[in-house]
Amino acid sequence: MRLYFEKRKTSSKIVLICVPIISLVISLILTGFLLLVFGVNPLATFSAMFNGAFGSSQNFAETLVKAVPLMLTGLGVSIAFRLRFWNIGAEGQLVLGGVAATWVALFASPYIPAFLLLPSVLLAGALAGAAWAGVPALLKTRLQVDETLTTLMLNYVAILIAEGLFYGAWRDPGGMGFPGTARFPQAAWLPRIYGRVHYGLVFALILAVVLWFFIYHTKWGFELHMIGKNRTAANYLGVNIKRTILVSILISGAFSGLAGASEVAGLARRLQEGLIQGYGYTAIIVAWMAQLNPFASIAAAILMAALLVGGDQVQMMMRLPSAVGLVMQGMILFPLLAGSLFSEYRLRISRTRGEETP
Amino acid sequence: MEDTMALQNDLTPVVEMKGITKHFPGVTANNQVTLKLYPGEVLALLGENGAGKSSLMNVLVGLYRQDEGEILVRGTPAEIHSPKDAVQLGLGMVHQNFKLVETMTVAENVVLGLKHLDFIPSFSEICRRINTISRQYNLQVDPRAYIWQLGVGEQQRVEILKLIYRGADILILDEPTAVLTPQESGELSRIIAQMIDEGKSAIFITHKMEEIKRFSQRVQVLRKGETAAVLETSKTTPSELARLMVGREVLFRLEKKICCPGEPVLEVKNLCASNEAGRPSLQDLSFIIRAGEILGIAGVAGNGQRKLTEVITGLDRADSGKVVIQGKDMTNRTPLDLIQSGVSHIPPDRISMGIVGDMSVASNLVMKEYRSEPVVKRGIFNYKEVAKSAKEKIDAYNISTPSQNTEAKFLSGGNIQKIILAREIGACRGLLIASYPSRGLDVGAMEAVRLQLIDQRNIGNAVLLVSEDLEELITVADRIAVIYEGRIMGEVPAEKADIKIIGHMMAGASLKGAAQAAAEAELGEDGI
Amino acid sequence: MKKGITVFLVLLVLASGIAMAAGRQDTAPAEEEPFKVAFIYVGSPVDYGWTFEHDMARKAVEAEFGDAVETAYVENVTVGDVSRILNQFAQQGYQIVFGNSFGYMDYMAEAAEEYPDIYFEHCSGYQLGPNKANYFGRMYQARYLSGIAAGAMTETDQIGYVAAFPIPEVIRGINAFTLGAQKVNPNVQVRVVWTNTWFDPAREREAAESLLDAGVDIIAQHQDTTEPQRAAQDRGAYSVGYHSDMRSFVGDSVLSSAVWDFSNYYIDRVRAAMDGTWESGAYWGNLDDGVVGLAEFSPLVSQDVRDIVAQEKEKIISGAWDVFHGPVRNQQGEVLVPAGTAMTDAEMLGMIFFVEGVVGRID
Repeated sequence: MRLYFEKRKTSSKIVLICVPIISLVISLILTGFLLLVFGVNPLATFSAMFNGAFGSSQNFAETLVKAVPLMLTGLGVSIAFRLRFWNIGAEGQLVLGGVAATWVALFASPYIPAFLLLPSVLLAGALAGAAWAGVPALLKTRLQVDETLTTLMLNYVAILIAEGLFYGAWRDPGGMGFPGTARFPQAAWLPRIYGRVHYGLVFALILAVVLWFFIYHTKWGFELHMIGKNRTAANYLGVNIKRTILVSILISGAFSGLAGASEVAGLARRLQEGLIQGYGYTAIIVAWMAQLNPFASIAAAILMAALLVGGDQVQMMMRLPSAVGLVMQGMILFPLLAGSLFSEYRLRISRTRGEETP
Repeated sequence: MEDTMALQNDLTPVVEMKGITKHFPGVTANNQVTLKLYPGEVLALLGENGAGKSSLMNVLVGLYRQDEGEILVRGTPAEIHSPKDAVQLGLGMVHQNFKLVETMTVAENVVLGLKHLDFIPSFSEICRRINTISRQYNLQVDPRAYIWQLGVGEQQRVEILKLIYRGADILILDEPTAVLTPQESGELSRIIAQMIDEGKSAIFITHKMEEIKRFSQRVQVLRKGETAAVLETSKTTPSELARLMVGREVLFRLEKKICCPGEPVLEVKNLCASNEAGRPSLQDLSFIIRAGEILGIAGVAGNGQRKLTEVITGLDRADSGKVVIQGKDMTNRTPLDLIQSGVSHIPPDRISMGIVGDMSVASNLVMKEYRSEPVVKRGIFNYKEVAKSAKEKIDAYNISTPSQNTEAKFLSGGNIQKIILAREIGACRGLLIASYPSRGLDVGAMEAVRLQLIDQRNIGNAVLLVSEDLEELITVADRIAVIYEGRIMGEVPAEKADIKIIGHMMAGASLKGAAQAAAEAELGEDGI
Repeated sequence: MKKGITVFLVLLVLASGIAMAAGRQDTAPAEEEPFKVAFIYVGSPVDYGWTFEHDMARKAVEAEFGDAVETAYVENVTVGDVSRILNQFAQQGYQIVFGNSFGYMDYMAEAAEEYPDIYFEHCSGYQLGPNKANYFGRMYQARYLSGIAAGAMTETDQIGYVAAFPIPEVIRGINAFTLGAQKVNPNVQVRVVWTNTWFDPAREREAAESLLDAGVDIIAQHQDTTEPQRAAQDRGAYSVGYHSDMRSFVGDSVLSSAVWDFSNYYIDRVRAAMDGTWESGAYWGNLDDGVVGLAEFSPLVSQDVRDIVAQEKEKIISGAWDVFHGPVRNQQGEVLVPAGTAMTDAEMLGMIFFVEGVVGRID
């Protein structure tokens, strides 16, 4: 007897609903065992995690705060992934977006009328993100340079630029030498909706709808599908592949850049270390978990944010080291992602007689 | 007939498939199919595209799993879950698309994936074994050659060699002659005969009637997933088989109006192009096609046909020379420019180039229309119009699909080709380029494709037909030009075409030389 | 395409269901609520450095008050997360919150405004509020003493200093250390390498090794781990520790360590908060208070050196003299603090220059 996988020809509704449920149950059981090893009550821990993320309006607000950059970057990378352009540079695009936004807010603000300052800050962020993504896109379309490497490497460059600025040239003169720029003028602040949730959330939701419309209802989206699913055919059918990739990647970068700008303008209101949190990498998980669907990306970003935020509670309430929270996040995510295998394949058991060796 | 059948019944079949049923979404590919293969015979499996030949064989080699039914190998029930299991049972399949690694040598490909391979395999030993097999079965291949250096026929020999090396004694050949020249398929029939002499058995999937006589002892005809008949080859006729296969009489002759050419639509002038390695693949090539005529390009695959069609359609670049379409110089323009100047193109690679398999049938049908109203208005799709247009095409071209929204990859080869035809002909405004449009199609689909090409000519479009099938060229084209090593060797009017002369030109003779050689061969009996 | 949406709706509903069910079980309120004390750590208590010392002090609070207090901490909190953690502690009824990173300053100030009933104690910052106090220690005093030991023990007259970031706190430490070393060895040079990280064992080790390659024979540091000490010991060199008594973790190659001890301060502040006598203010603890100090010497340090250190310590505790009393020269040899004067606290807190004898740049 042995087990093997067979590709499903159809994806039935029941499977689509059952697989994630079973995955989640498995996640919770696995994590439960881990928690028992640490000598804490798993149910209490799960409830602490859940309450930490969704338990009160303030907690949910904090989850949303964390989810906003994940939504924007997740939407951004999903555009690139549709084209099989492996943009893993959302982190760098976000950071550079934050840098550009900071430049406008701090140094260009005297020349910009107050009512235009905030739009300029956000626009600068989006443009910088686009430009940062544009470099690998150009290298890819002109010289066939592998984008995985270039986007990844540019992350480090962007982070070092940002650090160089807030530790060096842009360091707040009034900050007694401590790292971080000065606070933005108030006109450059992105207003908050509730608690610390800023208007980045509204941008993310609007952009998800816009993106959905573009992907499923426009010529551009149609060409995106064609290129992503069969580049040879797209070329043969007259699609301008290079231009479409370039434009799409610029948009992808702009989403991340906007995430960076709205983080600096909506949360810290200055450029400092807090911007560099690895959102751009988590975005990759978000995009895949959502199977590149814009609406699902929003949900996946909230789920990821809830895991990150809920992890704090594991420390506070259960007095477990932060590493346990991280392990829990991994153990919860893993079966969920692995579960997608079961949506596409079925596990079969065969009883073989005869000479076959298992 | 009764006698021989009875005789065979005494033998245990090497392969026996009993009541095999296989469902796919919306389609039953095989319904209660029974198949017996006896030792030392070649069984031809005949059927239209989508009749269930490939899926039945894929069940046999473990690529698919049957929903019902049982497989016995040498009288023992067998559970075949993967090609590996099949190989262990001595079953091997040569697919239409070869599964070889181009950048590796023949020897490396042969041993690739073998379980009991040494960590550092001794290639001299492997080559020796390969050479032994080569000699035994007449499979001439240099084991140290790289796959990319080999022609299609040689690659096929490598696939067969690979199977024999692994100890396969039951071979399944999926339309093996589709990619071969007449000479090469002659060679293949000798190889198969040799293998039968050595006690091996083979299943030969085809839909070419003349091959059945040449290769097989028995023939099993499939129609719509069910067995239509099992016959002895010697006791049947092509027309009987054709009738069994399609369930209706097939027109072998096509009615054609007299050709009355108009203005030149495509003028190719002194075209030169080179391949990636920098070697010339088109050399000073010139021809003209006028409105309302079909120019056929005959030639053995790999003589520049692909380069020619791709340069004309903007997918590849010319080094020098001109491509003039409807009076406008369109040399080295983008594919979109060419599409917009009225050029349609049925590409040779149906699945890898012609369609986007992961997208729906409807989407594939509008992949040219989507640039204009009413399908797309101001950049926004009108899905009602998409559905309407798709439905019209599905009806007009008789595309058999569970629904418009089925992903195109789930359709059979013939239906995929119909999608491409529907889309390309729908968008054609002057020039239609068709590369091997009926390759691998069954008789019914083939006829439909050919009639469509003639239709296009009749309504005043120019058609460039690239094909290896001389019969097709002669019945469809008005003029036939023969290409060899990137040059046009000569041109003959179709109605006066002599297959033998064209065959010699395909091998590199000039028109004059070919005529001479054909005449000599006539005298001294056929020389093949 | 609608697949994704279905999947996640199902997921969210399910997650909430399970957690709700779990959540109902444990909400039995205790009879007498203990006083709740929260700590937000920039690092982890197992770093044997900065956060380790804060956590030792947290444990001291627990030991002092027993069941009357309940403490909790969250570790590895970045500036991006601190607001959320503060909110969460506030909602869970914590009454006093200690934060041990400068970067938390703005966020603690915001939280202090939002939650006027909670006391906020911020380490190393300068912003004050009615319910927000600052605390820190004059670590430069202990640095000065540890510098004396290093200055006496170096044979190459070259000491390496692995430093995190060019900020006043770190610069002050480097300068004090250098002045201490010069006290016993006028020729000594202190070479600084910036790592641009508080916590990265691999980078800290690399920095220490590059200094050893350049010819230093003692490693001092301003980082959050013991890795520079281990690097020195592996090369047979001495080191001077920081934060905690690193000799107990690494070995006798650690001549001594400039150490923190927040226990007394934390106990005092928690008691004040419980009594209702808590007052805002900026606390800058010194050698006398024991917030900063020098760990026990390694047996390798001679009695002579120990005597000089003891003498200097007496001088500082007496208040007659402090480390940055003039004359203090910068790297260019200019006298910044003339003889007979001393730097004010404000000047020390904003110190961004190196004294003579330091080799390195502040950029």
